[in-house]
Amino acid sequence: MKVRSIATAALLALAGSSTFAAAPDWGKVPAAKFTVFYPGASPIEWVTKGTEHGGARALKKGESCASCHHDETADMGKKIASGQKNEPKPIKGKAGAIPVSVQAAHDGANLYLRFSWKQPAGGADKMDKDNAVKLAVMFEDNKVPRANLSGCWETCHADARTMPDGKDDKKTKYIADGSLAAAKFYDLIQWTSKGAKLDGYVADKRVMEGGKALVDAKGEKKGDEWSVVFTRKFAGGEGDVTLAPGKTVNFGFAIHDDHAAGRYHQVSLGYTLGLDAKADLTAAKQ
Amino acid sequence: MAASNQPGALKRLWRGLRTPSRFSLGALLFIGIATGVIFWGGFNTLVELTNKEAFCISCHEMKDNVYKEYSENTIHYTNRTGVRATCPDCHVPKEWVPKMLRKIQASRELYGKLVGTVDTREKFEAKRLVLAQREWARMKANDSLECRNCHTLTSMDKEKQKPRAKKSHELAVKNNETCIDCHKGIAHHKPKGMPEEDE
Repeated sequence: MKVRSIATAALLALAGSSTFAAAPDWGKVPAAKFTVFYPGASPIEWVTKGTEHGGARALKKGESCASCHHDETADMGKKIASGQKNEPKPIKGKAGAIPVSVQAAHDGANLYLRFSWKQPAGGADKMDKDNAVKLAVMFEDNKVPRANLSGCWETCHADARTMPDGKDDKKTKYIADGSLAAAKFYDLIQWTSKGAKLDGYVADKRVMEGGKALVDAKGEKKGDEWSVVFTRKFAGGEGDVTLAPGKTVNFGFAIHDDHAAGRYHQVSLGYTLGLDAKADLTAAKQ
Repeated sequence: MAASNQPGALKRLWRGLRTPSRFSLGALLFIGIATGVIFWGGFNTLVELTNKEAFCISCHEMKDNVYKEYSENTIHYTNRTGVRATCPDCHVPKEWVPKMLRKIQASRELYGKLVGTVDTREKFEAKRLVLAQREWARMKANDSLECRNCHTLTSMDKEKQKPRAKKSHELAVKNNETCIDCHKGIAHHKPKGMPEEDE
């Protein structure tokens, strides 16, 4: 009897925890289409420099990158990947862009995100030998200035490693004036095809661990189609953006395709994710 | 030596103008009109000769620098519809008075040519920003008149434009901006060291 009680209590405790979160029926969740594109060397310093990027003027007036570029990301990626613009070292065979279907849902305690895309042609030298593919997602809680306009670009700088002007091999993403204490950070989760599930953040530097919100990240390739599902608790710990029904946060994602590393990824523009709220991507309760 | 009683040249001219001519009024009118037409026509022909692309690029300073950039791959040189804007279309006003004022201003370029202000690539690059800023200021002051000879915000069908062009033109209307505010460097390279406030 006692054993049964303990077992029942343990089961209830587990059921209450998010490790037992049940993924939604993805066949019933509508998909939003986003096209990630190859950005080359286009850090925030370039984006905001009017003499280089005509859109800097619109950005200063409060227009988001997506409001001008959402429909032309594929063309932009093609131009950059070919070396016509912002790419001093074009990679042979690099896909200019990848269309991605993104589904989102929640159950009142967990957010579920599913990304699926068709593997584009590749064949470049393997920068990351361990991982054919990595997928990262960032959330931001409307605390970092301009994050609602420029998305992940606030973390992308000219002096980061692999950038043409990057001198420090250890320097990765950071936010100017980023601070966990001041809540000026991007929450970062990543899945890698080798099997890693990383939960970190980007503030004054990038940290790939310590987050407590990510429950699971699973990916698989069926034929030439990749799909990755994240399960994330609404609330976590340090460096985790707290989600809640009715709330909208800024989000963006990036795919390191074809064993790419560093800046040689495919990125989305900055979008919004709403929980039961109208946004570029809405997660409705299932 | 007796002093000459011959009147001065001005006095003689004035006297000649006041003295009735031995020619008929008709002959005088005909000669006057013919001479006027010849001089006026000649003047305008000369002005138009200096208003052609061939004249602009007869100087290597223009041909090897700004013209070369413009003719490499710009929308005003080659485009889908085959309409070309040449140097004077963008840099010389069409109306007579502004055109003459621009021509007078441009006469300083003759001095520059004589003394070789930009007669090498290095000299041109060193002066490019100043030259560009001067032209941007001129176009800003006349509300991009030469652009508006062909383009107007009101005649644009923004629904047919790319989203970023549509957005930018809507912002331009809202903020009362003029073409050159955004469209610098569309026919020639932007100068190195261009200050952000110029963009």
